[in-house]
Amino acid sequence: MTTRLALCLGLLILSAPFARATVYYVTIAGLGGELQYEQQFTALAHDLDKTFRSSDPDARVYTLIANNATRANLRETLGAISHEAKPEDDFVLTFIGHGTFDGMEYKFNLVGPDISGEELGKLCDRIPAKRQLIVNTSNASGGSIGMFERPGRAVIAATKSGTEKNATVFARYWVEALHNPDADTDKDGSESALEAFQYAQRKTAEYYEAQKRLATEHAVFEDTGKSEPVREASVNTGEGLLLSSFTIHRLGPAAKIANTPAKRALLAKKDELERRIDTLKYQKAAMSLEEYKQELTTTLVELARIQKELDK
Amino acid sequence: MRRSLQACALWVAVIACAAANYGATPQECRALRKHGRRAEAQHCFESLRLSSDSYLRAEGYWGLGEFERANDEFRTAVSRSDQNAVYRVRWGRLLHERFNDTDAEGLFKEALQRDNKNAQAYLGLGLVSADGFDSKAIEYAAKALKLDPKLVEAHELMANLALEDSNTQKASEEADAALKLAPDVLDAMAVHAAIEVLAERPPDAWFNKIRQVNPYYGQAWAVVAHHLVLNYRYQDAIAYYRKAVEIDPQLWSARSQLGVNLMRGGEEQDARRQLEMCYDAGYRDAATVNTLRLLDSYKNFVTIKDSGTILKLNKNEAELLRPYLERQIQQDVADYQKKYKMTLPGPVQVEVYRDHEDFAVRAMGMPGLGALGVTFGEVVALDSPSAREPGSFNWASALRHELSHVFILTATSGRVPRWFTEGLAVHEQAAASPAWGNRLTPDVLAAVRDKKLLPVTQLDRGFVRPEYPTQVFVSYFQAGRICDYIESRWGKDKLLSMVSSFAHHKMTSEAIKENLGIAPQEFDQQFDAWLSSRIGKTASNLEEWRKRMMELAQLAKNHRYAEILKKGDEARQMYPEYVFGDSVYEYMAEADLATGDQRGAAAMLTQYEKMGGQSPALLKELASLQNKLGEAQEAAATLNELNFIYPIDEDLHHRLGDLRLALKDYEGAIREYGALVAMRPLDVASAQFDLARAYLAAGQRDKAQDHILASLESAPNYRPAQKLLLEIQDSEKGTH
Repeated sequence: MTTRLALCLGLLILSAPFARATVYYVTIAGLGGELQYEQQFTALAHDLDKTFRSSDPDARVYTLIANNATRANLRETLGAISHEAKPEDDFVLTFIGHGTFDGMEYKFNLVGPDISGEELGKLCDRIPAKRQLIVNTSNASGGSIGMFERPGRAVIAATKSGTEKNATVFARYWVEALHNPDADTDKDGSESALEAFQYAQRKTAEYYEAQKRLATEHAVFEDTGKSEPVREASVNTGEGLLLSSFTIHRLGPAAKIANTPAKRALLAKKDELERRIDTLKYQKAAMSLEEYKQELTTTLVELARIQKELDK
Repeated sequence: MRRSLQACALWVAVIACAAANYGATPQECRALRKHGRRAEAQHCFESLRLSSDSYLRAEGYWGLGEFERANDEFRTAVSRSDQNAVYRVRWGRLLHERFNDTDAEGLFKEALQRDNKNAQAYLGLGLVSADGFDSKAIEYAAKALKLDPKLVEAHELMANLALEDSNTQKASEEADAALKLAPDVLDAMAVHAAIEVLAERPPDAWFNKIRQVNPYYGQAWAVVAHHLVLNYRYQDAIAYYRKAVEIDPQLWSARSQLGVNLMRGGEEQDARRQLEMCYDAGYRDAATVNTLRLLDSYKNFVTIKDSGTILKLNKNEAELLRPYLERQIQQDVADYQKKYKMTLPGPVQVEVYRDHEDFAVRAMGMPGLGALGVTFGEVVALDSPSAREPGSFNWASALRHELSHVFILTATSGRVPRWFTEGLAVHEQAAASPAWGNRLTPDVLAAVRDKKLLPVTQLDRGFVRPEYPTQVFVSYFQAGRICDYIESRWGKDKLLSMVSSFAHHKMTSEAIKENLGIAPQEFDQQFDAWLSSRIGKTASNLEEWRKRMMELAQLAKNHRYAEILKKGDEARQMYPEYVFGDSVYEYMAEADLATGDQRGAAAMLTQYEKMGGQSPALLKELASLQNKLGEAQEAAATLNELNFIYPIDEDLHHRLGDLRLALKDYEGAIREYGALVAMRPLDVASAQFDLARAYLAAGQRDKAQDHILASLESAPNYRPAQKLLLEIQDSEKGTH
């Protein structure tokens, strides 16, 4: 289901104009409390900083670590972006650290005063970028989703609710997803937020399975701006649509799109073939296996030949 | 005896009259029931229920099967008479009967706080301990008898415990002691019947006596069945449990055990029927409820049958595990058929449980560890590798162990002492691979050093009723080494001839004399000397080794690698078999790597592997080093060993698949990439593509094309798969 969704959205992205909008990345490593967590949060934030910078040299990357990870600095950073960013830009805010939820209010732990989910939501609302992604990897982060939800904004939380209070491992695998080509399941050379979420979600589950521990975190997302958070993308509800169109990291050099009329014709054909494959997959259940295989082979061979031409 | 029984009958008739006149005591009501006078007993308990005394009401409700009300009345009785030990003991007995041993034990102990000479309280503790095969059961029963030598039930408990420990003589003596005190004691007669059945003699005389006292006493047949289960004779046990419930259809404890044992033998439908009857009648002990729950969970399993095997696997991992299990079962069965010169009468059923709790239900009520696998005739139940922490066990070794039981139990029709079948199974593990043998843990060394090993004729006790926490494990080790010793000194045929002796109902002492030509005591002495020559020095150095390991751990913590390399080898030589957490191999390999000596690290980890090291991280490290050093074959062998330890690992199958492909072992590459696909990885496209490459290399073009399609179906723009698809298509055109 998610693959199909990703495929549909992949086509949308390919069809979209290739105008380069600026991506604003803000990462904040909160207060660890213990040396082990301090080191872990800092290392993960550094890692993300490096990844975002190398992935897109034009990106604006802000990373608040250690003593810089204060409420004042975060407010200042988000304030600056709210003046600078344009509606066509993308905005990605990542929290790594500890959170608390008292049943009403979520707070992210920072050096000095903590920051509440409500305040964070308001700060993000001032940023004009129409496409936003908030990744809250803290414990109890599920309690923050309601404060962030808004159309055009995808929210990922490491826990399904504010009551999952144990320290999480989701952040580790979220960062790992951005390095691991295996997370790029559609093999298009870039990772969508949905692919990274699915990778981190699976690895987190495997971690608890391997440790023979009861899982104390269940990552969720919400990207329609109006629903309950979910664990899986769905074509029916549209959950996952925005996430799958949100490129979070390019794994290799992005394919150069030639602008010659000949290549444009090939690209159009490629688009058509990809749509045909997608349609075919939807019709699979209604077809005989032999018929499906035959049609799929024909279409895939044709697509492969076109790709070969495009790659020349 | 006959006259005594007649006297008893007369006495029971007197009680019945007393009960009719509403003056009966709880003991009298219970005596009526024990003698099969059901209507009178019912009347008697009803009279107690009407008493103004809450304790008597409690006994009345209990006798009438109204357990909740009995519980409430006991609570009232105890609160009104806090210092009364008897009330607490009786309340404890009720809770023990109704599956709450924790609170029962508490009440018995509270009773002893009020009356430290209360024999019944000790008896209660003995009964609770006996259920868990706790060695304290004997201690408690002995204490009860010391306080009250005429406590018949304590003699009966002692008789049962002795028979569980295969001490027939003691069992017989205790049963006789009980019968001397009261000629109508049925459980003592049942123990005598069990002794006869286990010795292949007709038990009819005892059953006739039991019928004379109480024609409805099905429990006697259940007692025999219980001992048959402990002696691996599951089918015979089922027959006795059936008889027990035929005589007393409301004997739910026996019906529940009938269900459990039917399930053990794979007769799930009948098992469910029996267990549901118990459940519906309110008999909901852990065995009944958990077994029914497990039966319900079978909807999540798939059953795969071939001519010699029935595999029952969880749907979520069946595709992954099946090829490995089938291969291993085939190898082991072929090996055992050749070795034991026999074939199994039917297919062997192997059940693999992903959830350890499900496996625990299968092993429930059985003595010994039952930690990794358990065998019931031709049915083997195993923990899946996914049920435990990675590196905590080797499933293939555990499977080989259990399959050895299948052969030995079949060859002897279950008439084999526990120590021998366990010892032979351990011996067979090491015969398949030295790394699979029962490992020499510090606990075993301490037991050897402290001379805690049991004489061979008493070794069964170490499995059934351990006297110290690690004794079961130590007994496995000892039994395994005894078989190693017999093979090394007298040859492997002697092990086979011992199997034959046991099949002919010989006792351990007879089998040893007959086959090895020495007395058991002499055997023990010679075995001790043999074992001492092998591990005596290691055992005596245990404390010194511990000190050195602590020092090494400190050095490792401070990254003082040169010192680790200097001092580590001495510690290793003191106890080379130590391959568990924080081993010297790990420290030294780390030190080698830190000082740039990859070859040294590989050599150290190779030793670790040979000694049975099972850490997936260390074995993967070894495989990486071997690969870097150009030892692809060795790297593949290392990763293959890891398949027996923790195959739930995408990276493992990917790496091993790559190695197999590079080594032109295409069948192996297909198996490993196939395992990767079976794990439904996130990156389906790559996994399917790799499998396609392996099929193509193996010349199976059609299958290669299928998997290329599966790869591109998942990621239509996956360049390497597109390239391969075009190559296949173009070459097909070229050939047409």
